[in-house]
Amino acid sequence: MSSQFLETILLMTLATYGARVLPFLLFKGNNVQGFVRDFIELVPIALLAALVIPELVTPQGSIVIIHNPYLWAGVLTFIFARYVPNLFLGIIFGMILFWGLNRLML
Amino acid sequence: MNQETSFDVSKGFAYGLRQSLTVAIGYAPVAVTFGILATQLGLTFWEAGLMSFFVFAGAAQFIAIGMLHQGATVWMIGLTTLIVNIRHVLMSLAIVPFFPARTLPWSLGLAHGLTDETFVLNTRVLKDVVQEENRRQVMLGINLGAFISWFVFTILGSLIGKWLPIQFSGFQFALLALFIILTSTSLTKKNALTYLLAALLALVFKLLIPGKIYLILSVALAAGIGAWWRQRAQAPRTER
Repeated sequence: MSSQFLETILLMTLATYGARVLPFLLFKGNNVQGFVRDFIELVPIALLAALVIPELVTPQGSIVIIHNPYLWAGVLTFIFARYVPNLFLGIIFGMILFWGLNRLML
Repeated sequence: MNQETSFDVSKGFAYGLRQSLTVAIGYAPVAVTFGILATQLGLTFWEAGLMSFFVFAGAAQFIAIGMLHQGATVWMIGLTTLIVNIRHVLMSLAIVPFFPARTLPWSLGLAHGLTDETFVLNTRVLKDVVQEENRRQVMLGINLGAFISWFVFTILGSLIGKWLPIQFSGFQFALLALFIILTSTSLTKKNALTYLLAALLALVFKLLIPGKIYLILSVALAAGIGAWWRQRAQAPRTER
């Protein structure tokens, strides 16, 4: 196990556990409100957009629409998940679809 | 519900553990997928297990193994984890009022098991438990059940990934599929504009700036503008 990996785990633990434990240690009664609360609430959905959309649209570094198995597998996985709200089935569906489209488009 | 309150004295660790079953079952396939992916992306079985043990946060772990594979720096992964998991502050803030007389060891222990799923389950279960001492025990059971499932099934997944080296291009898409499914369940009319803004900014920044910095820039900007917009929309009402 490399020291780089251990450092990664350490930083990830600090960030995650820190967010979980600080309110336990410091909280005196008032909940956060206003801008800070809205900001924290919006971070997850913004992050999902930032993680997914660039990978789907620019898999090789430039924008590709038609011959792009990522994009079409992504759109269809999204539609599938709307109707079948099961994480495991959705991942299996997406992987098999991507595999199929990838072979078709090569 | 009513008949359960009369048995409140017996609501303790074992009760929490039983309640955790739904979350534990839900975690199993995701943790197995994580283990398989982690080993496919070059992690050892120990490394995958260690990450699940200490970090215990689904999305952040999936993102981290992807970034490790792409050669991202340690700091970049740490910063991204912070962005992904900052939402735990809100959940923790909402749970803490159940434990006004908490001690340091309980605080340190209960905090580790707080995930999106255990948070939802805890808030639902704890409000029907009268004594604080019982609530601690129940939350410990819920958290521990979920944690054990996440850890054990990560190990199982990494063993599968290690001993059955499957050559299947679909794995390249597993992570994206996971995020897309999470999107489909969390996208609402209220956050759709922030989503679109983040998508557009991330795309532009990714094409313009090398490295992974586009993630943090686009998320901070989009969530900031979205929150500012919400505040502005609420302002006329709160002034009265």
